[in-house]
Amino acid sequence: MNTNHRILPASALAFVMFFSVAVTGMAFADDGVELSGYGRAKAGALLSDGSLFLAETTLDAKLSWETGDSTLLVDVAVSERLGGSPELELRELYLRYSGDAVELVIGKQQIIWGKSDGVFITDIVSPKDLSRFLVPDFVELRQAVDGVRLGGYAGGHSLELVWLPLFSPGVAPAAGTIWAPVMPYPVTPTITAAALPELSIENGEYFIRYSFMGNAVDLSLMGGWFWNDLPSFAVTGKTMTPGVGITGITLQGEYYRTAAFGYGAAGAIGPLVLRSEGAMQLGKRYQGDFTVYPAGYAEKNSVQYLVGTDFSILGTTFGLQFIQDIILEHDDALVNERFTNTATVMAVRSFAHETLRVEALAYIGLDVPDALLKAQLVWKMTDAMELSGGAWLFFGDSGQFGQYDGNDSVFAGAKISF
Amino acid sequence: MNALQRSILPALLLGLAFATTLGAEEKTALSIMTAVYERPQPADMKATLTMTLVDSKGKERVRALEQRLASFGGVDKKIMMFQAPADVRGTSFMNWSYAEAGKGDDQWIYMPALKRVKRITSDGKGGSFMGSDFSYDDLGARHPSRDDHVILGSETVAGEECWIIESTPKEAGDGYSRTVSWISKSRLIGFKRDYYDKKGALLKTLSVLETKTMGAYLMITRTEMRNAQSNHRTRMEFTAIELDTGIADEQFSERAMMKGL
Repeated sequence: MNTNHRILPASALAFVMFFSVAVTGMAFADDGVELSGYGRAKAGALLSDGSLFLAETTLDAKLSWETGDSTLLVDVAVSERLGGSPELELRELYLRYSGDAVELVIGKQQIIWGKSDGVFITDIVSPKDLSRFLVPDFVELRQAVDGVRLGGYAGGHSLELVWLPLFSPGVAPAAGTIWAPVMPYPVTPTITAAALPELSIENGEYFIRYSFMGNAVDLSLMGGWFWNDLPSFAVTGKTMTPGVGITGITLQGEYYRTAAFGYGAAGAIGPLVLRSEGAMQLGKRYQGDFTVYPAGYAEKNSVQYLVGTDFSILGTTFGLQFIQDIILEHDDALVNERFTNTATVMAVRSFAHETLRVEALAYIGLDVPDALLKAQLVWKMTDAMELSGGAWLFFGDSGQFGQYDGNDSVFAGAKISF
Repeated sequence: MNALQRSILPALLLGLAFATTLGAEEKTALSIMTAVYERPQPADMKATLTMTLVDSKGKERVRALEQRLASFGGVDKKIMMFQAPADVRGTSFMNWSYAEAGKGDDQWIYMPALKRVKRITSDGKGGSFMGSDFSYDDLGARHPSRDDHVILGSETVAGEECWIIESTPKEAGDGYSRTVSWISKSRLIGFKRDYYDKKGALLKTLSVLETKTMGAYLMITRTEMRNAQSNHRTRMEFTAIELDTGIADEQFSERAMMKGL
């Protein structure tokens, strides 16, 4: 759980108050006030032993008040997970001014960039909640950032400037959970959590993006000077036992500065939509053999790019993507290989006047090989209510997906939108 | 192709002016269908579209959306933003269609939950529009030159004398084997159209339920498409129609999709 973004259980009462005020306020407010959101219950169980690892009930309410060119939006959610106390989360709270050619958004907001599906190459402004790996819906992976976004618009051209004075870290799977990744160390390390950067102008994050939408191609160019969302780990101590070797490692988590610049492009050729996205990140830290790298990591420049296509066949929409990660100036002491190749395959089809929808998304690691398949069936019982069920299946014994081979699971959910 | 003729609302527009001019022409099936196709069009328009889907048991589902359409130098642009049902509220589609022969449409979708505009494939126009009984092709204007037309006869519908015209696609691969239209002789209004599947069986019937005169245009504001094979039907109603309001090209942008109409 990201305690930076969730208020303690007792504060769930505040949500009830918010919801009550919102509903009451709407009754008396003018047409500029709108309340929307959903209530949802979802449960998931491991196929291996039937144990429940997911059981949550959520009410997400979004209230917006629009007056003239200005908007105030607040999105709050209260969730109960695995029978625990309710948790309150402020998902967004911002003020927006929308002029003819200028837009200014101040506050806690989600900023989503990029052209790809399920892959985050230039989508680096809002951090991700990966506490349950890539299993949740992508909407739920997004986290808001605190800052200011200024946009300028002229025809199909737009320019965005983002300043985040407050660093918002991403969320990694917690140790001891089924989503904790395999650590690249010979023994289980003792880890000291990373400290957040001090609040100062100097420690702010800065992003810029230019984008163009036209009849031949959509193009975007971006750059950023920011803190890496997930910390690196520096080796601060080793315990050596004669005749045995290393019997203890202590690690210090560190957030670090980095820069990235990249592009996104999409265009249509006949029945195909072609997409590409790429970015170069400077000084990214990779874990390495600490007999070679005493700190336990090395800073390398890296490139990540994607090429993909979308198309329809007999009413089914398909999306294919190939992603390659390249570590420049690679050496054999690094844990990661020079090239990491991944593919995604997506298929979506609706039936029965769009009351039934089948979705499948597969991530395929091409090197190990390994894979993750997310598949679900959604039934819209009414215009407001839907039931869903599906499976998350992992294949392989190792690799970024295969390491979770024991986490094959099924899930079911119900959702009402308002 | 004339402005807006491939768009949803314009497909239901009928120009009054042709009622007098056509009388001087030879009334061949092709000339009648061409006159309907080449009707005068507004430069732009805004409207609210409500679709009510009714299944064979009478259960109703409602879809509502706002739309904005305009034409700029041979490019017809359209944005549709969903208002209902709640789970898709704020979702918008943008379509640019081109007069240039053979050039496919450009389409984008914005989903507020994902906060991202994505270019999508424009293939599959024979597919259902929003789960309704209308296909995307049904909602666009089909150029008369793509079909062979024959006058089958005349019939009185709703008190008006109509031509009954059969249209058969010249090329294989179309969604229907043929259509039969009832066109008012006095006003060139299409009152009804039957669509036949590829096996030649009646698939569905489009009926005009209401028309309104707005300035120089006669608007068809309520229609119903009934699927004869599944007994599923869709009522389509246009309200809050505004014509020739001077919508600028900048209103068809990524930002407009995200911001709303």
